[in-house]
Amino acid sequence: MTPAITVRNPAIFSLIVDLGRTGFGAVGVPSSSALDRYACQALYCLLDCANAPLLEVIGPKFALQFDADVICAITGARVMAFLDDAPLRPWTSFRAKKGSLLLVKEVTEGFRYYIGFAGKVKAEAVMGSYTTNLECRFGGLNGTPLKSGDILHLEESREIETNLIPLNLIPSMNSPHILRVMEGPEADSFTADSCRHFWEKGYHELFTVSTNLNRTGIRLDGTPLVFKPEAPKSIVSEGIVPGTIQIPGDGLPIIMLNERTIGGYARVAVIARADQDRLAHLKANDLVCFERIIVEEGERLWRDKQKRITQLQSLTGSTPPPGPIQE
Amino acid sequence: MIIQRYAENALRIIFGSQIDMEVHEQVRRAFFLLISLHRIDIIEIIPSFCSCLVIYEDDLTSYETLADLLNERLANLSAVEMPPPQVHEITVHYGGDYGPDLSFVAKHCQLSVSEVIERHCAELYTVFTVGFTPGFPYLGTLDERITAPRLETPRTRIPAGSVGIAQRQTGIYPFESPAGWQIIGRTDIRLFDPARPPYSLMQIGDKVRFIEVQ
Repeated sequence: MTPAITVRNPAIFSLIVDLGRTGFGAVGVPSSSALDRYACQALYCLLDCANAPLLEVIGPKFALQFDADVICAITGARVMAFLDDAPLRPWTSFRAKKGSLLLVKEVTEGFRYYIGFAGKVKAEAVMGSYTTNLECRFGGLNGTPLKSGDILHLEESREIETNLIPLNLIPSMNSPHILRVMEGPEADSFTADSCRHFWEKGYHELFTVSTNLNRTGIRLDGTPLVFKPEAPKSIVSEGIVPGTIQIPGDGLPIIMLNERTIGGYARVAVIARADQDRLAHLKANDLVCFERIIVEEGERLWRDKQKRITQLQSLTGSTPPPGPIQE
Repeated sequence: MIIQRYAENALRIIFGSQIDMEVHEQVRRAFFLLISLHRIDIIEIIPSFCSCLVIYEDDLTSYETLADLLNERLANLSAVEMPPPQVHEITVHYGGDYGPDLSFVAKHCQLSVSEVIERHCAELYTVFTVGFTPGFPYLGTLDERITAPRLETPRTRIPAGSVGIAQRQTGIYPFESPAGWQIIGRTDIRLFDPARPPYSLMQIGDKVRFIEVQ
């Protein structure tokens, strides 16, 4: 029998994700990838695997019960988590004994956290990925969020050494979020003054994350961008990349995440790839501002980020240094 | 044709700026040519009304390398072979709860509701692109006498099968989803099946006719 893990409490929102679905953009299928891919890479390193189904969770009180010994790990948002009564160090792997209860009591920094297991959670593979497309209800666990009583079957459960990610490789996730952006295809549709306030150092407006946010997009509140009088308020719909900032008629930015291949609103900017994981941690009322960079700088930041991922990968199999549990 | 950088790992191949059959033909040819190249450094091709968006693996190539290659390969699009388009007949319940914006559109266009329906059904539309949600066909070209603007603030939820219009476009929402278009009706036809390739009922270049359910 495969080990089973029971969801005792799904917290505010949890679902099965992975690094995403690719190659079907021409029929409108988005990546639906985990929003913090770096945290997922770290999880894969801790669990010594690649692209297995993971859990993406929002909110406190998330609880799992184990009916077998399983190696697990948590990354992403900083949480106060306990295995029965023992506190768990953030961004580490640990052994959950048969019968034990994993409980996340509190989220202390960031928004979304990720839980994975050494082995492979049984999930629906659709078009090359396990990730859940919530809108269309496919992938993951029947295309739906996790609910209390759901059972995760662990196929190919494996025995591995526990490990940890050093603090210098754990990013900050607190508000305010400073996001670096490059000019988007329709940056020219907006007045010079409103662009200056949008992304120029010393001028930039702070936006507030509205309550209108989900895995598709994040709407911001603040001073609306101003369209030039001659500029159309919508465009002929065109392909978009994740991290595109669209401006609808009301002038308030919408950050597009990993659930759309095409958009019809003016694309004022694109968030640097290296900063996109941070989008997983924007929550209502957080503050956000944008800083313009050129695309070559975006490339350089991305190379730096990949170096950090390589550093993560070099940790695999190494013995974790001893040390007290922090926080 | 112009190639423009979009992001660190994405570029746009632009053929025009308006909804236009000739531009569409070029986009479609470019799309099938890009597929036929079977390049491992191209990970996503998203054709739309006026452009192809290409997302590439920047570990394997660079913007400059890929842009040079595409400029060369796309120079002669007229020789590209393409699959023949399919024709789809889509039955629609117009107005009422099915199409909450039909009366607004009629008022906006200074037409009767039945004239709007008649004109929506009169056209043989082209699938200019598929996207927004999986299987959503962007159809054109809508009769200019029944055009209406997008909603300034999109609706957060509309039912699957909703038929919408915006400017010179019409489309069908395959899934319950947010929607920024004026919703004039609804169909029962399934537009997307994740278990069956090619997944989407409609592919770029297909033709669509709407038929009113009596």
